[in-house]
Amino acid sequence: MNARLTIAPAALGCALLLAACNSDVGKGDTAAPPEGAKGAAGAAAAPPMGPPPYITRDQAPAGNRLAVARDPKAVFQHACGYCHLEAGMGTNLLVKQRIAAGAPPETALLANRDDLTADYVKQVVRQGKNAMPPQTRVDITDAELDEVAKWLAKGK
Amino acid sequence: MELRLPPRVSPEDFQRASDAFAGVVGKDWVLVEDEDRDAYSDAYAPGPKEQWPPSGAVAPGSVEEVQALVRLANEHRIPLWPVSRGKNLGYGTAAPRLPGAMVLDLGRLNKVLDLDPKLAYAVVEPGVSFFDLFDHIAREKAPLWMSVPGNGWGSVLGNALEHGIGYTPYGLHARNLCGMELVTPTGDLVRTGMGAMDGNHAWHLFPFSFGPTWELAMTQSSLGVVTKAGLWLQPEPESSLELSWDIPKEEDIGWVIDTLAPMKISGLIEQNIFIPSWLGKVVLKGQRKDFWDKPGAIPEWRVQELLDQYKLGYWKVQIRLYGDKAVNEAKAAVIKAAMKRHLAAPPEEVWWHAGDSRSAVDTTMGVPSAIPLQMGDWIGGAGSHMGFSPVVPATSEHVLGQLKRSRKIIADHDIDFYASFTIGGRFANNINMLMFDRTQQAEVDNTKKLFDALIAETAKAGYGEYRTHLGWMDPVMATFDFNDHALRRMNEKVKDALDPNGIIAPGKQGVWPAAYRDLAGARA
Repeated sequence: MNARLTIAPAALGCALLLAACNSDVGKGDTAAPPEGAKGAAGAAAAPPMGPPPYITRDQAPAGNRLAVARDPKAVFQHACGYCHLEAGMGTNLLVKQRIAAGAPPETALLANRDDLTADYVKQVVRQGKNAMPPQTRVDITDAELDEVAKWLAKGK
Repeated sequence: MELRLPPRVSPEDFQRASDAFAGVVGKDWVLVEDEDRDAYSDAYAPGPKEQWPPSGAVAPGSVEEVQALVRLANEHRIPLWPVSRGKNLGYGTAAPRLPGAMVLDLGRLNKVLDLDPKLAYAVVEPGVSFFDLFDHIAREKAPLWMSVPGNGWGSVLGNALEHGIGYTPYGLHARNLCGMELVTPTGDLVRTGMGAMDGNHAWHLFPFSFGPTWELAMTQSSLGVVTKAGLWLQPEPESSLELSWDIPKEEDIGWVIDTLAPMKISGLIEQNIFIPSWLGKVVLKGQRKDFWDKPGAIPEWRVQELLDQYKLGYWKVQIRLYGDKAVNEAKAAVIKAAMKRHLAAPPEEVWWHAGDSRSAVDTTMGVPSAIPLQMGDWIGGAGSHMGFSPVVPATSEHVLGQLKRSRKIIADHDIDFYASFTIGGRFANNINMLMFDRTQQAEVDNTKKLFDALIAETAKAGYGEYRTHLGWMDPVMATFDFNDHALRRMNEKVKDALDPNGIIAPGKQGVWPAAYRDLAGARA
């Protein structure tokens, strides 16, 4: 997870309008090729118009969910990816919020944020915020959340 | 949220029970902190979430642990409220009907146990979400499609058990269940259907038992805890064609139903046909204040302006055909000719062929999404919703009658009208989305009054709900009144026989066990 994810302008249109738009969405490194996608590596070969493709989440890492030091990116994708990957429900709403706040739309993807603190992430996950309901400790355990929050906070 | 104890349980009793549960699942999976109670309450509740408070939650990791917990719950008299993933948004989320019941969270039982591409079925545990099963099918490269509801965040099994609906040929989700394993309210383990025979090969293929068939008795039910079930899936079609029409006027829904329902009943159209009103499209375009910034329902003149501006009809009809290309073309010709008799504009036609990617936002292709939940943002603030969901015969007479009745009641309460009719066969599910900000007391009070009025007036006209929020389970059950509520009385007799201590989901769907019957809400 080094390369910064991008939201193409057309994808931004998808997020806002859910209308037919460029399918060049989610070519960042967290995006597995959508099922049946033709040549995901070749963004240039993608058809010019089309709906946003489904993003397959990483599998939850194997092992004891109460133990620390599991892959936070995989946990994030599995537990938070329902809404927080490209064209997800949470991303779509955050695009609007980020633009309103004068921030670049690609910061709607939480993995692109550089202003999150671990405590803030934990608070939103456990208490919910706006359209996001609180997450239980079965949805994401305390150990998993600690790791994910640290990962999203990038050391803050 | 502070601890709310189950009825007739002391703090010491509760502590002893929690310790006993921890002995089974480990202390980390007994979730009894204030923050846990918040997380298992109804985040979309009309009013304070303390109205339906859990005492906590316990999360088993195996079927044996479910059995052990159920036995201990009987011993300690702790009522359990089983949830698969607890995402029953708009109907109560994970919260229990009985204050102080403990949520039995089955989310850790999240394995896809079997996937058979040839006979087109899966065997899943309750914690498997629609996304989980979709991802599993993709990884296995199985040529199978699912049917998904609006909220793909939830559980495949939980949604089917709650009579959830989707928009494909497999859209009556409870009908896809075939062969279950369940823990009885006293902790025994039962397999239904052919699975009642040890090692039977047809468990998830033949839909009946030798004798009474129990699968559907386990839906919207408090008679057992389903721990796994077979789920029939749709073989991937060779091609698929979508035909879309914008239907201009409100009253056009009459001819739309009379045109499409016979084709659904005959089998020419296989999918459940979803017909949302215009607001279903506009809620995804922004917030309410972007379109109408005054309190009260958006007036008719402004609705018409919005329809013109966004080139929308009052209703949207999207029909999807699945199968061989030649068959889809032939079916499309029949459907287009029938629609053309009422509407000159041709449909938009979009083909899909095997190997093409599927849209992340198309539920008619069985792709799970949480995007419909974006409507939570429409109202702003703590945007919440409830669904009023009566079932009507699929004819213009009944659909127009229902539309007129509910529209008037909703207009009288000055709330935006957002409805859909889904033709599932000989009937249509009419879902009326009622959106409100749960932090605004006046909005909450108004929505509750509206909900009461909708239930009462709709029942008076001869229609009932197929599903409802926790707070209205008793009133809705009371509308099923034939022969002095004979159905409820039979449900309660069966409940008392199978669950003598009333441990599993007391009050679920208005069925109260003897142990807690005195706590039932409004009863007829």
